[in-house]
Amino acid sequence: MINILIKKELSLYFRNLNNIFLPLIFFFLIISIFPLVLGPEKTLFNKIIPGVIWITAILTTLLTSNNFFKEDFNAGIIETYLTSDVSIEIVLFIRIIVCWIFTCLPIVIFIPIVSILFDITFQSSIVILLTLVIGTPILISIGIFGSALTLGLAKNNILTPVIIIPFYIPVLIFSASAIQSVSAGLPYDMQIYILASLLTLVLPTMPYLLKYTLEISINN
Amino acid sequence: MNISKIANLKFFYTKTQRISIYLSFSTFVLFCIGIYWGLFIAPEDYLQGNSYRIMYVHVPAAWLSLQTYMIMAVTAFIALVWKIKIMEIISIQCAPIGAFFTIIALVTGMIWGKPTWGTYWVWDARLTSELILLFLYIGVIVLYSSFVDKRQAIKITSLLSIIGLINIPIIHYSVEWWNTLHQGPTVTKFDKPSAHITMLLPLLYMFIVFNLYFLAVMIQRIRLGIYIREKNSKWMEDLSND
Repeated sequence: MINILIKKELSLYFRNLNNIFLPLIFFFLIISIFPLVLGPEKTLFNKIIPGVIWITAILTTLLTSNNFFKEDFNAGIIETYLTSDVSIEIVLFIRIIVCWIFTCLPIVIFIPIVSILFDITFQSSIVILLTLVIGTPILISIGIFGSALTLGLAKNNILTPVIIIPFYIPVLIFSASAIQSVSAGLPYDMQIYILASLLTLVLPTMPYLLKYTLEISINN
Repeated sequence: MNISKIANLKFFYTKTQRISIYLSFSTFVLFCIGIYWGLFIAPEDYLQGNSYRIMYVHVPAAWLSLQTYMIMAVTAFIALVWKIKIMEIISIQCAPIGAFFTIIALVTGMIWGKPTWGTYWVWDARLTSELILLFLYIGVIVLYSSFVDKRQAIKITSLLSIIGLINIPIIHYSVEWWNTLHQGPTVTKFDKPSAHITMLLPLLYMFIVFNLYFLAVMIQRIRLGIYIREKNSKWMEDLSND
């Protein structure tokens, strides 16, 4: 059954290739705005690039997860899941993972190109990659939680980010400081461990939390 | 008098009218006494002079801002699990009060910062986490007010405030850690005022007064919440016709 669910989710994304490319293009668009605003000196970028990459990752995950349940909610699919025998936790877990694969994995894969554009050293780009791999699933899960909270509302475009961004702060702090530590030649393993522990806290509990939130959003 | 009786909305509404007036009045008098104690009787600080006296408003407000979040989340949990109506009202009314305390703490902190640090704002760990706390409060208020169906709004905001309570220590420690790593501005932390008993007593007194203030405002707001919720019910109409 899990295979069918995974296939279904994947085929939904593959049906429209925009789903894969748009987040990536958005990411590159925002990244390339920063040099235009701040001037082209490369010494400046070495200092701010972790922040730039992470702010861009936040914007991408927020925009992709903002209306995560909207279509399914309007079509009545979530209600069907909740009343059927299928364990909705597994469905939600698969959906989080698939959403991550299609929005954040392309960004992770294209980090080497970003590091060429901004003269990031090899070791720093490895750490950037590592923090993105560990950190973005947390961001995606929290963003999806936010979209589940505001599901009952007709318009929630800016509301969800306002509610959700404070919850992003720990992930941001540890990721950015890991990248800064490695460029300063300091050990960064502690930050990676903390990020990993946040991931192991968030990812398994999120499907249950989402199920509860969806139940509240639907039974009213 | 048992708990279920207090939790009854009608009982609470009719019994607390007098209590809330007395409580508000006595809180005002006690507050004036505390302000006089803090501003005139308490001794001058050898390091900061008179400017430290803003502490008697700043510190209780900062404590109350966190304590109110705790109360909000705990009552939200009770409201979600046991579905007690009055807990729902208490939980949601905590948010504006807590936001108010947070703003008071931030503003008085900024005023205090000018003479001690030379600047209104530093990205110090405590200031930053207090600011994030304000954003968490605003999130709860905004989320509640954007729902038309208030029953659903209460459940959703309860969930958000519980998750926020889990998140507050994580945010606090990460911000503290971030600050120590960054080696903030030149003056990060002033020396703690020496805990002399003559300075500490007014502080504790003000903390109690702030708690009383919280209680007084809370009772008023609960009454307002009950009124909004039950204004079409029969007992409320009977009450207002009398």
